[in-house]
Amino acid sequence: MSENPEVRGCILPLDLHYSVVDHTWIRVHDDKTVTVGMTDVAQNLAGELLHAKPKKVGTVRKKGKPLATVESSKWVGPVKSPLSGEVIAVNDELAGDATLVNRSPYKAGWIVKMQPTDLDAELAGMFTGQEAVDKYRERIEAEDIKACEHVEGFEI
Amino acid sequence: MTAKPGTLDLSGRQYRHIRHDEKERLFDEVKKDLRFEEYLYGCYECGICVAACPSARFYDFSPRKIAQTMAREDADLFYVMLNDSIWDCSQCFSCDVCPRKNSPGGLITLMREVAVKNGLASAQEALEGYGRVVYKIMATGTQVSPDMLQANAFPDWGPHVKDISENLEVWRRALPPDTMHTTETSWHVDDKTITELYLIWHMTGVMDMIKEVDEGLFMILQDVMEDRLEDEGYDVSFD
Repeated sequence: MSENPEVRGCILPLDLHYSVVDHTWIRVHDDKTVTVGMTDVAQNLAGELLHAKPKKVGTVRKKGKPLATVESSKWVGPVKSPLSGEVIAVNDELAGDATLVNRSPYKAGWIVKMQPTDLDAELAGMFTGQEAVDKYRERIEAEDIKACEHVEGFEI
Repeated sequence: MTAKPGTLDLSGRQYRHIRHDEKERLFDEVKKDLRFEEYLYGCYECGICVAACPSARFYDFSPRKIAQTMAREDADLFYVMLNDSIWDCSQCFSCDVCPRKNSPGGLITLMREVAVKNGLASAQEALEGYGRVVYKIMATGTQVSPDMLQANAFPDWGPHVKDISENLEVWRRALPPDTMHTTETSWHVDDKTITELYLIWHMTGVMDMIKEVDEGLFMILQDVMEDRLEDEGYDVSFD
């Protein structure tokens, strides 16, 4: 099995947890905080980003509410929170260069870090590993989501 | 047999699965609008509106058919128009040349409002590409922002678009009025104007319409507007 499986060219690392419905991922840290970002599929659908504006540190969000607003030339949309909790850090680099999300959706292009309020229960509603890849494949095929294109300098 | 691609199928068979009383309900919603009686007096079928209509030259679209459908009170045909025709109109109102003083463009305005308020899938699809434009108008009061001019979005504008987008701030500073030295909005909008704008969206129910057609856009706008209105001392919720 590949370390980073692909579906239609979209990379889906196995070690993350995904909200397939909202196109977001989280990385759970040892101290039970999480990093949140947009998936490769999401950055590809949005197109080259002009702005990525996360909510301020201290913002408390319920699952499904916006954690950030992202804009490309003709599109705008929310990054919906995959978990309930408080924003404890935001990626300040995005203010200067939103295309970090396009170039490095799983590393330098992270959106916020959160302190979840109910991590164990809400994590159970997300997918990880091969199950996540399979669920994402189902969605991509059902909705005929376009194949991922990667900008120059794309990294995993 | 199905209609040719790009051809308006007036038979209504594509909407047979929709209950007739639902079509009647939507038609009634259009007719109840105060503007309706000023937009429709009757139709000679003279075709002057079609001759004046730019959309009719490019699409299988006819302002005459819109006026006729409404005058005949044909709910089935109305439903076809509501889904498959009204978004082909450019709302230029050239059709207001009508010798009977009908306004097919005005009727379409009413139909679009009903389509949006009722969250019709065809309305969602038609408006999908305009998300950022709607966001800009509602959040800033200015429609087209200079930073929309990106090479990947406008490949048909030629290679110089890349140069403009990469040096946008410099280009904008070349404009004489300093209120236009902006890239995220068309011009500088002052705080009082923005606050009044948000109150207007709230009081006129525009946000309720947005909620029906684009939940993601609604959530973003709700955040932006509630934060500002709270800072300005207004206790307003869009939920």
